[in-house]
Amino acid sequence: MDGEYDAIVLGTGLKECIISGILSVDGKKVLHMDRNDYYGGESASINLNQLFQRFGAQPNPALGNSRDFNIDLAPKFIMANGKLVKMLIMTNVNRYLEFKQVDGSYVLKDGKINKVPATGTEAASTPLVGFFEKNRLRKFLVFVQDFDRNEPKTHQGHNLQRMTSQELFSKFGLEKGTVDFIGHALALYDNDGYLTRPAEEMVERCKLYGESLARYGKSPYLYPLYGLGELPQAFARLAAVYGGTYMLHKPIERIVYNSAGEACGVVSMNEEGKPAFAKCKFIVADPTYFPDQCRVTEKVVRCIAILSHPITPGSEPSAQIILPQNQIGRTHDVYVFCVSASHMVAAEGKYIAFVSTITNVASEELKDGLKILGKVDSFFFDVYDIKVPNKLGHEDKCYISKSYDASSHFEHTSDDVMDIYERIYGKPLDLSKTMVNLNPDE
Amino acid sequence: MAKASGGTGNYDYLVKLLLIGDSGVGKSCLLLRFSDDSFTTSFITTIGIDFKIRTIEQEGKRLKLQIWDTAGQERFRTITTAYYRGAMGILLVYDVTDEQSFNNIRNWMRQIQQHASDNVNKILIGNKCDMLDKKVIETARGQALADEFGIKFFETSAKNNINVEKAFTEIARDVMVRLREQEAKDGGKKGGDTLDLASGGKQGKKGCC
Repeated sequence: MDGEYDAIVLGTGLKECIISGILSVDGKKVLHMDRNDYYGGESASINLNQLFQRFGAQPNPALGNSRDFNIDLAPKFIMANGKLVKMLIMTNVNRYLEFKQVDGSYVLKDGKINKVPATGTEAASTPLVGFFEKNRLRKFLVFVQDFDRNEPKTHQGHNLQRMTSQELFSKFGLEKGTVDFIGHALALYDNDGYLTRPAEEMVERCKLYGESLARYGKSPYLYPLYGLGELPQAFARLAAVYGGTYMLHKPIERIVYNSAGEACGVVSMNEEGKPAFAKCKFIVADPTYFPDQCRVTEKVVRCIAILSHPITPGSEPSAQIILPQNQIGRTHDVYVFCVSASHMVAAEGKYIAFVSTITNVASEELKDGLKILGKVDSFFFDVYDIKVPNKLGHEDKCYISKSYDASSHFEHTSDDVMDIYERIYGKPLDLSKTMVNLNPDE
Repeated sequence: MAKASGGTGNYDYLVKLLLIGDSGVGKSCLLLRFSDDSFTTSFITTIGIDFKIRTIEQEGKRLKLQIWDTAGQERFRTITTAYYRGAMGILLVYDVTDEQSFNNIRNWMRQIQQHASDNVNKILIGNKCDMLDKKVIETARGQALADEFGIKFFETSAKNNINVEKAFTEIARDVMVRLREQEAKDGGKKGGDTLDLASGGKQGKKGCC
């Protein structure tokens, strides 16, 4: 590992791997290291034995072949028209992966799990919205669809940079239940804080939902075959193809700073157990490498369950169920995800369910979500901290990412990647630019 | 998934092959010899080779070979598990002038057993067979190891273009035979509803292949 690099990247989570790939394509010399002997860090997918090991339990062979399972440590779905898809396309990394749709999207209302309408016919018959309310909702959705931030005539006289979401909903005369549906099942907010903020972001998020749904049909979500852990590996391959050096199972001894207080290298042990120094101009790292420079903003509580049956009314092999905060009397939504053999992440006939939420106290928080699961073969609880860096990294040249949040999709993950890019380059990442052309052989 | 659906591609079978083996055994050279009929000693480690495509004909069928290189990630044993996904055939390569690269074949075999699908076809290749004066792995040792694994064995030279064509053709044909038998057994493909992100439209299988 001796040598001189432009960047040393610590941790092979998705964010770090995307940055590593982009830096390498840009001609930077990158050394990418991870203390673990596997790729993915907190965004890895692990097999059944690793799961039991992680929670100090004895593996249960009755569940099936360990390697048929790929269990996500940070379960999320990909918005089909979201920023991660744009990053996959601009880097051409999508060629290393295979994606399938997520089959169903559900939301809880009045104690019942209802399908989030995906077609006009479904919208007309959905019990989520009352008969007279349907017309008002339709008007709102047409407004959202036509809305273009740069075209004032699409704003219908509303200034969405000032007007709050609450005010906009009032203008359309929408009932509280409909507002819950729009805010939590379409705009995918996990709490009601957005209601008193300017409405533009909410409208953009509804637009993203609509455009993502329109792309493939069944739901707005995509999910890669073999699990989310394939994503960081695919970006790591991009980096490697462009000359990036990868080292796993490589604990870091210390970061070395110059007299100006800027990071200028990393000391790690080489194969002979002697300290080796790698020089660099800056460091990119996940929060676990800089625990002293990060603070905890919230806690996520999560249950991982292995089941022998699907959990949705439509028995889809993959689905999401959102339990909006007001429906369960909480301050945050509870998310339920389910994936299975159809995405090659579980043995045939088995299902993996994740139930998660933001929490202050760990106990009892997930009970509404757990009710939905019914009988489980095996389950594990986990509480973890969401950490964010205290500084932007301009002074010490250490650009630190945030932890993977509890959100149901990758938009915040992508935002963090774009933020790190901008901190490094001093200009925004242009998602419309093609960075990597197709293989000339294709 | 491997068989092209009616007329979308100019081939009957898409065959995904991987090259595996220690750094410096000549994996990229074998690939470039086979795909571009070129040879260069100028690069030390693999930079910039992702995969190469070459279409060959076997028993009247057109086989589109998509051959993936390690992107240098074998150097520190950091090949991703994702690299092995969907592989139909694997070329295990050692250097006949390098004892260690031969001994490591067993380690690579273990990786394959752990991460590739159970029925993947394999072939053992002893490269640099032109370097007679430096050769330390006798042909018989290579053959014995291949016999132990129950796989075919070739000694090749990417530099002098010895047996390169034959080795790739042989494994491609093995894969085709297996795919054909599988098809006959389960009457066609299953799955196949993966999406092409770049085209953005609805439906369709992955378009890059």
